Amino acid sequence: MQQTQSFASRYFKMKREQFQHGLVQAKHNKVCYLFLAPYAILFFTFFILPICTSIFYGFTYYNILEPARFIGLQNYINLILQDEVFLIAIKNTFVIAVITGPVGYILSFLFAWFINELPKWIRSVAVVIFYAPSIAASAFTIFSVLFRGDAYGWFNAILMEFGIIEAPKLWLITPDTMMPILIVVILWMSMGTGFLSFVAGFQGIDRSMYEAGYVDGVRNRWQELYHITLPSMKPMLLFGAVMSITNAFNVSDVPRMLCGFPSTDYAARTVVTHLFDYGFSRFEMGYASAIATILFLVMILCKKAITGLLGRVGT
Amino acid sequence: MSEINTVKSNGTLKLIDGKKYRGYLQADETGVAFYPKGKTEPIVQWTYPRMHRMDRIRRGGTSGEITVILKDDSRYIFDLDYGLKLYDHMDKHWADKPVMPRTRGDELHRLAELRGEKIEVPKKHLITRRHPNRSIGGDIGVYLILLIFAILMVFPLVFLIGNSLKPLNEFFRFPPPVWPSQPTTDNFSDLFVLMGQSWVPFSRYLINTVLITFVGTFGHLVIASMAAFVLAKYQFPGGRTFFAVVTTCLMFSGYVTGVPNYLIMSRLGMIDTYWALILPAFAAPIGMFLMKQFMEGLPTALIEAATIDGASTFGIFWNIVMPNVKPAWLTMIIFSVQGLWNSTATTVIYSEAKKPLVYALNQLLAGGVARTGASAAAQVVIISVPILIFILSQSRILETMASSGIKD
Repeated sequence: MQQTQSFASRYFKMKREQFQHGLVQAKHNKVCYLFLAPYAILFFTFFILPICTSIFYGFTYYNILEPARFIGLQNYINLILQDEVFLIAIKNTFVIAVITGPVGYILSFLFAWFINELPKWIRSVAVVIFYAPSIAASAFTIFSVLFRGDAYGWFNAILMEFGIIEAPKLWLITPDTMMPILIVVILWMSMGTGFLSFVAGFQGIDRSMYEAGYVDGVRNRWQELYHITLPSMKPMLLFGAVMSITNAFNVSDVPRMLCGFPSTDYAARTVVTHLFDYGFSRFEMGYASAIATILFLVMILCKKAITGLLGRVGT
Repeated sequence: MSEINTVKSNGTLKLIDGKKYRGYLQADETGVAFYPKGKTEPIVQWTYPRMHRMDRIRRGGTSGEITVILKDDSRYIFDLDYGLKLYDHMDKHWADKPVMPRTRGDELHRLAELRGEKIEVPKKHLITRRHPNRSIGGDIGVYLILLIFAILMVFPLVFLIGNSLKPLNEFFRFPPPVWPSQPTTDNFSDLFVLMGQSWVPFSRYLINTVLITFVGTFGHLVIASMAAFVLAKYQFPGGRTFFAVVTTCLMFSGYVTGVPNYLIMSRLGMIDTYWALILPAFAAPIGMFLMKQFMEGLPTALIEAATIDGASTFGIFWNIVMPNVKPAWLTMIIFSVQGLWNSTATTVIYSEAKKPLVYALNQLLAGGVARTGASAAAQVVIISVPILIFILSQSRILETMASSGIKD
C-alpha cells in the first residue's frame, strides 16, 4: 500500500513537474501562441467544433425549430435497422470508395512516375492535362451531355453508329448504368492534390541515389521503383493516401449533378448526399449529425489502416 | 577542410597526337585539375562557374570518373575516357557537347593549338541515354500508355470547349461532332445576353465571387502563414499536437462538416453573409499544412541570425521568412482560389444578390438542348480561371508540393 502510494505520489509529482515545465516553456514562447491564435481560433470554430457538434447532436432529435431532445442511440438504431436508403447509400459509398480510392491512388502514382520520365516541356503539358479535370471542379457536368439519354448524346450516338445498340439508352437514369458512369467520372477527377504531390516527389529524389543504383546493379525500372523510389517517397505516399480517402468518401456533387437529386430508386445515393438530404432538405439535423459522425469514424479508421500499411512499404 | 572535399581518381589523359599522361584527376571546391604522375603542377585545369560553388563530389562508377554536384544542381562529370560532360538536372539529360570552361584549361588548349597539338575533344555518343537501365521497349510502352490516357483525360474537356464553340444546328447533327465544323463565338455572346436578362445584374455575381475569392485568399495567406511559421520554426508545448490534428482534418472536406458548420454559423449570425464563405477559407487546413512543410525547409540559421540581430518575431516572419517562401504562397493561393472560386454556397447564402458566379452560371445549365451551348460557354469561363492560374505557376507549385509529405 505504502509502496503504491509513494509510486502514485511520485508519478503525480513527475506529471506536475512536467506540467510546470511546460508552463514555463509556454510563457517563454508567448509570441508563438499569439501567432497561432488567429488560425487556431478559426480552425477550432470551423473544423473541430463541427466534429464535436455532430457527435453531440447525433444523440438528439433536432430540427432547428425546437430545442434538441436527447434520444440516446435512437438515430443510429434507425439508421441501421430502418433506413433502407441509408443502406443503399452505404453500399454505394463503399463500392465507390473501394474502387476509386485504391485505383485512383495507384493511377495517380503510375502516371506521376511515367510523366517523370518525359523531357521537361512535355512533362509540364502532361501535368496540366492530368491535373486539369480535378481543378476544373464543375467541368464534369459535361458528362451529362456525353451520356445524354437521347440520340444527341455522344456516347449513344457512337454506340448506335457502330450498331452496338439499336435505340438510345438512358445512361444516367437507368439504375444499373449509373454507378459505373459515376465511377468513371470520379476516376477522371481523381488526379488531384495527391497526384501533384507525387509528381513533385519524383522530381525531388536525389539523383545520386539513382546513379549509385546503376553502379550497384539496379537493372530495370521496376527494381529502381521498389528499391530506391518507393522508400524515399513514403511521406508523399501518405499524403496522397489522405487525399484519396477524402476524394473517395466525400462523393456528393458528382451524383447530385449527373444523376439528379434524388436519383432514380436512390441508385446513386451516397452517404454524403444522404446527409445533405436530411440536413438541408428535411432539416433533421440530429439524424444528419449521426450520419456525419459515422463518416468521420470510418475515415479516421481508414487513415489509421493505410498509415499502418504504408509503414511496411519498401522494408 | 579541403581534405574532406577533395576526390582523386587515377587514370590516363590522352592528347590528340597520341601523347599520354598517366596521373590523377583531382576535384576540389574550386575546380578539377589533372596532375601528371610525379608533378605538382596540373597540366589541365577546369573551374566551376563562379556563382555556383560545389555542393558535393563523388567518385563515379568507373575509375577515372568524378561527379561534381554544384549548388544549382547542375552536374559535371569529369571522365578521362569520355572527356568533360555536363549533366543538366532540370532537363535530365546529358548535354551532348563538352563544356568548355573559360579557364586555364582554355589557355592550355590555345597554347596547344599554337604548338600544333591539341587536347582531345571527346566524341559525341550516338545515343545519349538518360537512364542506363531502361529498356527501349519499356520506354515505348510507357509513352503509349501515357498518350492513350492523356487523350482519355483531355477528351471531356475538349468536348466541352467544342460544345462552347458549336453553332446551334451542330447540336442536332447525328452523330454529334466533337469539334464543330464551323466554330462560332455565338454561345459566348448568348451567355452575355442571358446574363443581361437575369433578375440580379450579372456583374453583381461576378463582384461577389471576386470579393469572396480575394478576401478569403488574402486572409488565408496571412493567417495560415503566421501559424505555419511558428509551427515550423519554434518548439512550444501543444504545437506538435495541433499540427497532428490539422493533418487529420485534411480529410474532412466541406461536405462532411456542412451540417454542423451550418448550425455553428447560424449561432454566430453568419448565415447569408459573405463571412460564411470567407472565414472557413481562412482556416483551410491544406494551405496551412503545405506552408508549414515548406517552411521547415528554410535554414534555421537564417532565423537565428536575425534573432541575434535583434529582430522581433513579427519582423523575422514578415521580412525574412515570407519573402523566402514565395513558391508556397502561390500554392496556397491556387488551392484557396480553386476552393472559393468554385463554391456554389447554396446552403449558407440565400439572398440572390449575394450568390457567387458559379451558382448563377450553373443555373443556366437547367434548360434542355437549346441551352447546351451557352452552358458549355459558361463552364469554359468557370474552369479557365483555376486552370490558367495553375499553368502560369506550375513550377512554383511543384516546388512546394515536393515538401508536402506527411512524416509519421
